[in-house]
Amino acid sequence: MWRKIADWYGKWEDEQIAVLERPELASQVTSGHRRLVYRSFAKRSEVERQQMRDFCIALKGWRGWFVTGLLLAAFTLCGVGLHLLAPGIGWGAAIVTANVCGIALMFALIGAWFNYRELVRRKFRLVLTMLVYALLAAVATSGATLWISDQSPAVVFDKLPRMLALILGVGLALAAPMLAIGFWRYRQHDALVEQLQRDAERDRLARELSESQLRLLRAQIEPHFLFNTLGAVQQLAQQGAPRAAELTANLIDFLRSSMRDMRSEQVSLAAEFGLVESYLKVMQVRLGERLRFTLALPRALEQVQLPSMILLTLVENAIKHGIEPALRGGEVAVSAEAIDGTLRIRVRDGGVGMSTLPGPDSGGGTGLDNVRHRLRLAYGDAAGLRLDDGAPGLVADVTIPFAQA
Amino acid sequence: MQPTLLVAEDEPLMRERLLEGLAQSWPEARVLVVAENGNDAWDGFLEHEPDVAFLDIRMPGLSGLEVAERIGTMAHVVFVTAYDQYAVDAFDAGAVDYLLKPVQADRLERAVARLRSKLARPPADGAAMGELLRQLKSALPGERKERTKWIKASVGRQVRVIDVDEVLFFQSDTRYTRIVLRDYEALVRTPLKDLLGTLDPDRFWQIHRATVVNANAILAAERIDAERMQVLVKGSDEKLAVSRTFVHLFRE
Repeated sequence: MWRKIADWYGKWEDEQIAVLERPELASQVTSGHRRLVYRSFAKRSEVERQQMRDFCIALKGWRGWFVTGLLLAAFTLCGVGLHLLAPGIGWGAAIVTANVCGIALMFALIGAWFNYRELVRRKFRLVLTMLVYALLAAVATSGATLWISDQSPAVVFDKLPRMLALILGVGLALAAPMLAIGFWRYRQHDALVEQLQRDAERDRLARELSESQLRLLRAQIEPHFLFNTLGAVQQLAQQGAPRAAELTANLIDFLRSSMRDMRSEQVSLAAEFGLVESYLKVMQVRLGERLRFTLALPRALEQVQLPSMILLTLVENAIKHGIEPALRGGEVAVSAEAIDGTLRIRVRDGGVGMSTLPGPDSGGGTGLDNVRHRLRLAYGDAAGLRLDDGAPGLVADVTIPFAQA
Repeated sequence: MQPTLLVAEDEPLMRERLLEGLAQSWPEARVLVVAENGNDAWDGFLEHEPDVAFLDIRMPGLSGLEVAERIGTMAHVVFVTAYDQYAVDAFDAGAVDYLLKPVQADRLERAVARLRSKLARPPADGAAMGELLRQLKSALPGERKERTKWIKASVGRQVRVIDVDEVLFFQSDTRYTRIVLRDYEALVRTPLKDLLGTLDPDRFWQIHRATVVNANAILAAERIDAERMQVLVKGSDEKLAVSRTFVHLFRE
């Protein structure tokens, strides 16, 4: 018998925990009233369900029985205490009263502990309900007293306000801690939800940042760039050409500044132009006459900060998809300009242009996607990347808001 | 017999490196064609018909893969590539040689040794080559090629916009290309070898180094002797010579 009850209760606990974990399971429960309870679980917030689940798991199995036993023992002790303090109340009555009150109080507190959002949202209804019940209870008790005892109606009627006050007092004494717990838990819940949202947002940003840095890293150590450049260095060195040392110096410059860029979020425009210059110098040695370039950075804009690697990505794109596939090559012009409180960085190439832009699935578009993404992370909708037909070639414009010094 | 070579590579230093390497490890071979892009490579191939073609895969104009596709079994092809392992796996499975850039002397020596023994036999069979090229094309990231739909050409004082589908044939005329249509003809400044890569090869057939014909406009091809053929075009009295290289297009 005992075994059976324990088994049944154990299963019920498991079911409850499962539903708290996955509220959609509620609809699979066949029993009507249990399904009703579980539906109410589904309406609660994630945090509330989590709290209830933790509670259920903490009191699962023998622990639940043990705590219940402890509580009943404590209530019984209170009953004994009550009898000793007020010998007028019999042993039995004192113990039963203490247990009933204790269990009621426990349920009320647990109810408040887990239904705090409902409780706070409906606090006026709660108080009102309590008042109405107190009134009804007082009237009912008076009626019963009249019915059972032979006290005169006048005496009973005289006692009514006192009884009302007593019941109300007990009620409010019960309601006050419930509401206090409710409000306290409610605030805790909001803080927790906010904290969780902040954590999730921070994780997301950190993940996006490291992903974009990883993509940049991969782009830099692309075998094409590194191997072909080293091959060019090797060839020049073998020929004993003084350009070998110059090319190596530019490659070192380029690698060093791109490592620096990868470590920092924001860099100065001057640093970016330096990085791009060393890259273009390397590419010029490799491509020969097919690549010409110009760089124009006004002195006033040198210290303007912008997200790292954006400019380099655009220039790499111009070389890879503009100049390299062009039969006769072309010119790359990189410039920065301040126009009405916005910074406009323009990369124009005289290469093959729009018609041979890589298709969306060829993977070549990820560089530009990356630029757009980083601009959005840093400036929201205030910054943008625009591509136009350069006839010949392509014009890429990045606009960034900045405070003019 | 002295083996003849074609070298196509777009970066000047890489090109010099390969040429110097070949001079070292294959002194008896003669380099007939040095090309800076795919278009020149294919044109030079048709002109000189070398025994071996060293092709960079990523080049302006026709890619190394496209040039190899056109060369087919007419020569031995060696790809020169900077691509990483996953593409190299595709090479290893196939019959075609490859060199990783930057080309190192010992690797080149080995490739040359293999080529020396291969040259005694005819080049790899066409079906295996075609299969390999298909694999490589899907394995390597490629630029999306736009096909030309319209060609702007001056006719007298006018600039005509010509729908390529209406062109009967293109013919090379030194630095110009002659475009022949049903009612008129025009000259454009772009050489035929550069126009070629932008035309749909299923639609526009090259029948000679200097001639590309719209397959829809072909009336018939007739045999002149054992080696030579000519093409008759609908709506034109001209007879277009088919060079030996392209006679296979008209085999039944």
